[in-house]
Amino acid sequence: MMVGNKNIHKDSLGKLNRGKGGIKTVKFDIIFFLAVLCMAGFGILIIYSATRSSMPGGVTDPAYYLKRQSIFLGAGLVLFTGFQFINYRKIRDLWWIAASLGIIFLIAVLLFGYEVNGSKSWIDLGLFPIQPSEFAKIFMIITISFLLSRRRTEKENHISFKKVILACLAAAVFIALVLLEPDFGTALIYLMIFSGMLFVSGANFFYVIAVLAATAGGFFSALKLGIIKQYQLDRILIFLRPEVSTSGAGYNLYQSKMAIGSGGLAGKGLFLGTQTNLSYVPAHHTDFIFSVIGEELGFIGGFFVLAVMGFIIFRCFRIAARANNSFGMLLASGVGLMILSQVIINVGMTIGIMPIIGIPLPFLSSGGSSLITTMLGVALVSTVNIYRDTRKDHEIAYEHFSGGI
Amino acid sequence: MNSTIRIRLKIIIYIAAAVLIALLLRLYFLQVISGQIYAEMATESVSRAASITAPRGNIYDRNGKLLVKSIPVAAVAVQPHILLQDEEALELLAGCLDMPPYSIRQELEEADISYLERVFLKTGIDKPTIIRIRENSQLLPGVEVVDVYLREYQYGVLASHILGYTGEISVEQLESGFYSGDYTGGDQIGLTGLEQQYENTLRGEKGEKIYEVDPLGRPVRIIEERDPVSGDDLYLTIDIELQKITEEALSNGIMEVRQKAPRDSEENYRVTGGSVVVLDVKNGGVLAMASFPTYDPGIFSGGISDQDWAYLNDADNQYPLNNRAVMSYAPGSVFKVVTAYAGLQENIISEHTSFTCRGTWYGLGSDFPKSCWSKSGHGSLSIRNAIKNSCDIYFYEVGYGLFVKMDNIEELLQKYSRVMGFGNTTGIDLPFEDEGRVPDRQWKKEYFEDRVEYTVWFPGDTVNMSIGQGDLLVTPLQMAAAYSTVANRGIQYIPHLVMETRDQSGSIGAESTVENYKDLELNEYYLELIEDGFDLVTKPGGTAAYTFRDFPTDEIPIAGKTGTAEVFGKQDFAWFASYAPIGNPEYAVVVMLEEAGGGGSNASPIAEKIYRYLFGLDN
Repeated sequence: MMVGNKNIHKDSLGKLNRGKGGIKTVKFDIIFFLAVLCMAGFGILIIYSATRSSMPGGVTDPAYYLKRQSIFLGAGLVLFTGFQFINYRKIRDLWWIAASLGIIFLIAVLLFGYEVNGSKSWIDLGLFPIQPSEFAKIFMIITISFLLSRRRTEKENHISFKKVILACLAAAVFIALVLLEPDFGTALIYLMIFSGMLFVSGANFFYVIAVLAATAGGFFSALKLGIIKQYQLDRILIFLRPEVSTSGAGYNLYQSKMAIGSGGLAGKGLFLGTQTNLSYVPAHHTDFIFSVIGEELGFIGGFFVLAVMGFIIFRCFRIAARANNSFGMLLASGVGLMILSQVIINVGMTIGIMPIIGIPLPFLSSGGSSLITTMLGVALVSTVNIYRDTRKDHEIAYEHFSGGI
Repeated sequence: MNSTIRIRLKIIIYIAAAVLIALLLRLYFLQVISGQIYAEMATESVSRAASITAPRGNIYDRNGKLLVKSIPVAAVAVQPHILLQDEEALELLAGCLDMPPYSIRQELEEADISYLERVFLKTGIDKPTIIRIRENSQLLPGVEVVDVYLREYQYGVLASHILGYTGEISVEQLESGFYSGDYTGGDQIGLTGLEQQYENTLRGEKGEKIYEVDPLGRPVRIIEERDPVSGDDLYLTIDIELQKITEEALSNGIMEVRQKAPRDSEENYRVTGGSVVVLDVKNGGVLAMASFPTYDPGIFSGGISDQDWAYLNDADNQYPLNNRAVMSYAPGSVFKVVTAYAGLQENIISEHTSFTCRGTWYGLGSDFPKSCWSKSGHGSLSIRNAIKNSCDIYFYEVGYGLFVKMDNIEELLQKYSRVMGFGNTTGIDLPFEDEGRVPDRQWKKEYFEDRVEYTVWFPGDTVNMSIGQGDLLVTPLQMAAAYSTVANRGIQYIPHLVMETRDQSGSIGAESTVENYKDLELNEYYLELIEDGFDLVTKPGGTAAYTFRDFPTDEIPIAGKTGTAEVFGKQDFAWFASYAPIGNPEYAVVVMLEEAGGGGSNASPIAEKIYRYLFGLDN
């Protein structure tokens, strides 16, 4: 084993080394990819069922949303494929582009965006609208991953106070911009991603607590100051009062629970859900897509979805663990946290154990921004896997000696 | 990888797993454990049942001629709860129906408060309106065009009081509990006449349509449907041709009397109303029943207009909705039949007992003179001639005799009145029948309790009652039934309008009236005597002789009695009660005219015309 830029030697798997400093491509995690494809394809099917008879938005083609989602999936797959050829370390080097893009996107929507359901979260690009707060998740993950990862000058990843503060500031900027739309749901996701990443980064647990405490403090003072209105809070917390089933948000929840509950063990059958097909459950093709699954495919369907989601999430973290590189680890973890937090809150919301906040279910909710964002995320995870450092620890140590990587 | 980080990653994974499992558990609870409950809730919220109106049974006369039938008509049914929430839809509907929005809103709000499921805003909408509403159905949640059945009267105003009319059931009626079972808002029910009396027979059974609805309550598809069952048909005892003749005779007769004036007055007879009842003597069936003034029951179909309703209830129009055949009046001399029979039966008089009428009678004392209608008096009379001439004094004597017997302990005149069916409803199958009044000691005590001097029964009260005056009140129907009983020599039939009911397959229903009768066990000989008197009334010399001068009373003897009842503050009420032909009686005809003077001059001609028709005399 020798150090140097052009070292070529065989690794434990018998593959040739290529590229800088002993990093090789390894087997593509096909199972991971298949799981993702499965979820996304399933999502298209479910969206078709949800939209073919009761078209939201006044469209006339029953397959409209089906086609749309398929196109977005296609674009996502193209992106995915493209990314497989990029070493994620390059992305780390260009982190500041990601950060800037993210902030630019978020500012743009505040300036040029239009309002939907009370928050200015969409920009119309002519052919289709995009939701910048979705894409910005990836940009934030990249940014935070960089800020919390090991610098070249560091031996080990030491999360100094400085790093934490910088990361907090960066996250705060993203979150604040999202809060200005105002999109509380997405901001919560951002917060959960960031706290999770902070935790996983190895930073002193105290910092994590401090962040959470600060958020709680900020939340209550916002409530006190009237920035958050009591009725908005009530609407969000309506899941704690299931008897209120007739007004706005309570109605959504009531219908969703009824749809899901009535699905029983095996559901009413694909395309046969009455509650969701007849638009009893509002937003049934976006935020409440899980109620379609629950109604039509029953517990078995729900179990299937949660199992595959769980698998994907688990895979993300496994890839993170094997990354051998703090940036890669944080990147993969961030994406895993992104999917996890959204699944928990979205599914929990439809079954009445989580507050009602509008966030999409990854892969399954209709919407190009969400799907492409998620595809981008898993694409990054996949590259972290492909380009992971398979050298043993001592091999890496030698590298450090010679000031490598 | 740093062990701390590894541990942390592991922790995250465990937390993730735990939360996902928690979600699964909740799902399990919702779907597998509570799934049934939610499934039921879902079906309930998704399906709605609507009833389908059943066609009402038809009504026919005794010869199978159709009198009333149901015709389907388009109506706008609205679910108030849904439409009230959509302002635009309400205004759009108002435009389609050409009704002001505020009146629609008011009607819906009233219905909503009463939790009525469905309200019919307008019945009988034309095709363009139907199309317009259907075209806009997406914008009109909770609005539906349905078929309702309205009544169509084939003979216009004929027999309107008998048939009655239908209308929408009111909130009070629904809440009263009287209409048990299958009634909801918007249903048509019988409100008067036979339509009301035979409501249960006529209404049939509603059908039901269960359909799936979207969250706005709009129907998506039909899940289940059950056809309605038509109501049973009624076959009446009425002969519609005779009814026509009767109503014409009554109204023409009234018009003629209105041209006349009483002898001592300048003002003509007002004749504010009148009634004729024609009974089938042999079984009590009502062959015709007329009440004047009358009305067109067709104006109630689909909802009566405010104008029409105001007209019908205006005092100046003499309340055409009233069926005067079952309203009570002072009978005057037609009541003497009871006095006569009572007198004979109680041996106050016999076939040859005679009294002398000199125009004034002092039987009650010199301070209480009573006069006969004939100022000069009739001279000496026995019972037959007393009836023929309707001598009041003769009957004063009988009445007084009845009073005196046993000091009126048994109140004999009242007893015989009740035996003959007065003071009680006849039991005819019509709603709102008046029972009249047979006044007696007890009644006086209660009625005049505030004025002590009137609470005693005086001999004069019996004397007045004996000529059909005083506080006595009878209905034309009661009178017809009583005269039928005399014709039948004491067999009292219950008057009835419905011969039989038939369901859609033609089977005769259990309600077909078996002839109900009671044998009063009256003395036939006495009734014959009285009948002899009646015979003389329509022959030369009798009080109705002039009316029947051209009638072949030798071949077709008419047993009749005139009556002229005095009513305080009004002109005399004219009566004529009769049956024919003597010997084998078939028909009983009673005529009553309000404020029309003499029964002989003004009421009997109407009966004469009817008898001419009945016996085919003018063909």
